Amino acid sequence: MDLVSKKWIFNVLLSMCFIGAACTSVEKKIYVHLNNTVPCVRLLNATHQIGCQSSLSGDVGVLHVLESEENLDFVLRTGLHPPYMVILEHRLFTRSIMMKLNNGSSRVAGVAVVAPDANPAEGFSPHNTCPNENTGVYSETYDPALAHCSTTVWNPLGNGLSYEEFDFPIFSLKDDNKTRFIRQCYFDHNRMVNGSSPQYPLCAMQLFSHMSAVTNTATCMRRNDLNLGITPEYVCDPLGDFNVWATTRPLNNTAKGHKMSESVVIAATRLDSRSFFFNIAPGAQSAASGFVTLLAAAHALRNITQEAPPNRTILYAFFQGETFDYIGSSRMVYDMENGQFLVDLDNIHSVLEVGQVGMRANSRLWLHSDPVSRRNGSIDEEVKTLVENIRSAVMTLNVSASEPNVSQPLPPSSFQRFLRSRPIPGVVIADHESSFSNRFYESMYDNAEYMRVSYPQNMTQEEQLQFVTDTAKALTEVATVLARALYKQAGGDQSQLSGINADPQIVTQMLYSFLIQSNNSWLQQIVPSDLAGHLKNTATNFYVGVMLQSSEPTHLVQHLLANLTGNVVNVTQQDCQNQRMEESDTVSKHTYTYTWVQGAVPPNATEREGYCVRSTVHLSKAVSPAFDLREFTSTDYSTWTESRWKTIKGRIFLVASHELEMVTLGVGVGVLLTSLLLTYVISSKADILFSSQREPTNATY
Amino acid sequence: MTAAVFFGCTFIAFGPAIALFLFTIAREPLRVIFLIAGAFFWLVSLLLSSLVWFISVQISNKDSAVQQKGLLIFGVVLSVLLQETFRFAYYKLLKKANEGLLTLSQEETMPISIRQLAYVSGLGFGFMSGAFSVVNILADSVGPGTIGIHGDSQHYFLSSAFMTMAIILLHMFWGVVFFDACEKQQWWAVAAVVISHLVVSCLTFQNPEYVASLVPTYVILFLMGIWAFYSAGGSLRNLKLCLTCKDKDFLLANHRPR
Amino acid sequence: MNLERVPNEEKLGLCRKYYLGGFAFLPFLWLVNVVWFFREAFVKPAYTEQLQIKTYVKRSALGLLLWVAVLTTWITIYQHYRAQWGEVGDYISFTIPLGIP
Repeated sequence: MDLVSKKWIFNVLLSMCFIGAACTSVEKKIYVHLNNTVPCVRLLNATHQIGCQSSLSGDVGVLHVLESEENLDFVLRTGLHPPYMVILEHRLFTRSIMMKLNNGSSRVAGVAVVAPDANPAEGFSPHNTCPNENTGVYSETYDPALAHCSTTVWNPLGNGLSYEEFDFPIFSLKDDNKTRFIRQCYFDHNRMVNGSSPQYPLCAMQLFSHMSAVTNTATCMRRNDLNLGITPEYVCDPLGDFNVWATTRPLNNTAKGHKMSESVVIAATRLDSRSFFFNIAPGAQSAASGFVTLLAAAHALRNITQEAPPNRTILYAFFQGETFDYIGSSRMVYDMENGQFLVDLDNIHSVLEVGQVGMRANSRLWLHSDPVSRRNGSIDEEVKTLVENIRSAVMTLNVSASEPNVSQPLPPSSFQRFLRSRPIPGVVIADHESSFSNRFYESMYDNAEYMRVSYPQNMTQEEQLQFVTDTAKALTEVATVLARALYKQAGGDQSQLSGINADPQIVTQMLYSFLIQSNNSWLQQIVPSDLAGHLKNTATNFYVGVMLQSSEPTHLVQHLLANLTGNVVNVTQQDCQNQRMEESDTVSKHTYTYTWVQGAVPPNATEREGYCVRSTVHLSKAVSPAFDLREFTSTDYSTWTESRWKTIKGRIFLVASHELEMVTLGVGVGVLLTSLLLTYVISSKADILFSSQREPTNATY
Repeated sequence: MTAAVFFGCTFIAFGPAIALFLFTIAREPLRVIFLIAGAFFWLVSLLLSSLVWFISVQISNKDSAVQQKGLLIFGVVLSVLLQETFRFAYYKLLKKANEGLLTLSQEETMPISIRQLAYVSGLGFGFMSGAFSVVNILADSVGPGTIGIHGDSQHYFLSSAFMTMAIILLHMFWGVVFFDACEKQQWWAVAAVVISHLVVSCLTFQNPEYVASLVPTYVILFLMGIWAFYSAGGSLRNLKLCLTCKDKDFLLANHRPR
Repeated sequence: MNLERVPNEEKLGLCRKYYLGGFAFLPFLWLVNVVWFFREAFVKPAYTEQLQIKTYVKRSALGLLLWVAVLTTWITIYQHYRAQWGEVGDYISFTIPLGIP
């Protein structure tokens, strides 16, 4: 939990002070506060803690701009003024340097990483090489040969920094005026001139990111419960949010559990991503490419599933928190097992999951399936049918779909959580044959630039929103394939397939909304007014965050899905907000969701004209079952929690030499002692000193 | 480690004042009361001048640098004049109070002389004005940073502390000279106090050229000190006597008539 | 209360009350007793009740010492091993510091 909003207001006020130059208080003469800082925070799981933290009063160190790896020797051994606050260019933010700094952490006060404006040429992934290694289906008991990514390393570029524990704060700084100021301060005060060590005053930095939680999830959850003090002090919160789901056929959501004679094809994808730093998780390729495709496919299927409904129901599922040991999918499977979800596992016909599909080489799609469950003949048949259905959808398009080597396991995917429960036929569509094509998996560079979502120069925001990029065209093709495959898989008629086409316009608008800025005219029209204020002018942050704070992408996807799959109904605002068609209608709220959205401003008007959207879109909790079961050391379910904190800030300033400080103290003590002595002498002789012999008249007053 | 700077600056700024308080005032309740009353009078004068300042800033043009600078000079002059007015008001009040005390006390003589009152009230003024001018700075001296990131002088804390020490002592001297002048109705001396106060206050506009403000201030402090010494009944002869330690006979000789 | 103005019998009564009160897990009463009655017990010229007061003060001092020893040992052990005790350590703590094990 953070107090970011408060801090931001404070920062804005501060920076206003700086611009106005009217504030000349002492504090402003000493400190320059850094805005645009993003910390690395503490996360905990069943066994350990990861991330970073500072001491309670912030860590102070003399600035040192690291120029190369050899330069580390200065920080770790030869520098005369430890501890050092190390400023790293992003190209030096490597595992070897960070681990050396971590080992010599008595001489390191903290690290500030300067994020570049453009993505690095080489790949970078702070994630593991084998994401969600222990909570997928491939355990030692499932198939020892496939466990721990022993056949395919999915993320070979992963250096695992995101899962290390650091004793010092690590912040990310944007390359802006303040960062240039920091460099200038370093060059003016701290740089060695001709090999001689720099003179005081030295430029220093203080970083505050003290974390309340410690050790592991069991410890911090126990301390949450043990609040005896007057003001309860919570230390950590489970990661989690909401899954978004919708069905092509209205089903009664109030009656949970098994639905007789219902067969469901699940079309799944993930909604979240992360990076080393707290709230920069652009997740363009790792999350957005997949769910944008699925949203576009759902849109393409809207009319056909109403006019010529297939035998089976398609369930669109967008899972949250998948990055952190499959929070969303494990919860949905858990709910299905316990009869707490719309359908149960028996109702599932098959699963078609969309993975990372944004970087296809030669327009190829790869259809991953699970070799272990396919050893069962009937499952194998079903998977073959599913693959065949996808292939038949591809036929007429400029896309090819192939299966990788039969013995290769599934890539990290939500479908693994379904397989963990029972063998279910299913396929994961992705753009990579073996290891990820994404070179920036779960990093801050997995952004619009990497996805090549770029626009010709001199375009207004509105033109950019409408401009169909090549990436959008490519994803549209995948969405069309996906939509047709889903329709076929659900038992739809082959002759209808050519009529199912995804809309590139919608795809490009979605990409713009998630990767460039969500605050645009299109999204403003299709979200309710309370959400419109939360739309941002920056790329969406796909970090799942804690349960208490709703994640932005969840709600955006919820309303997008409602608009793309639902229908506009002629209902008053009041009835719409009460989830009914008319006043006497008490049934439809069990199957439908009604949302009153803002709508557009009609020509010659000033007020938006809202309307009501009726859809089957629902949210379901995406909190790991471990927290409901209170099994904080669970090895089956995600146990990730995020520590709470109070202040996140950074500031730079000069530090004086100890000599000057000691001189000040010495002079002070000297003045005090001298004046004590003098005053004692004078006051003891005051009678003589101030006896006015010459003016006896004055003596009386 | 910057606690060192904090204590160093505190001792420099308030060392003499603390010494004076301990040895000359703390033991006599009446003096403590007058000291606090003096500090209170200074506070009231500050309240009034800040009120005027607040209003004038509100109605001024915030974008005009010239106007803001003018406003600052106006504020300083107004504040000095108000302080001296309140010093005069306090003098008048003490005169009244002294008469009252005289009627109350059984003894012939006053329990506290006007000369002592002048010193005590001056120190009261000094304590309060010193506290107000340096407390914010002291709060920031704790660290971890020091002045200078925008190129300001590193000696800001040290010079502020010395300036405060000078202001406190000056207030004490001004109090002595001012009360003495009022007593003798030498209005030119009152004017000299006001003018020297104005000069010292305006010298701070020289900052951050600390030498340019501190040196003249200490010159004025020295001169005012001599003047106050004479006003309080000191003389070269007394000083000589004192230094040559011939005071014993003198004390005896002097004590008898009292 | 100024002990000088209290008759000797009352002094003894007070001293006894404080001494007995200390047994109700109130070592501070013993501390007060020792400090307050030390002069009465050991410095003042002898009087009839002084012997009794002396015993009470001595015993109070002994009890106090015992308490100090026990508390110091416990506090040292607790501060040193709280983190290692884990769950138990948390349950026997009233406030748990943030951000350290």
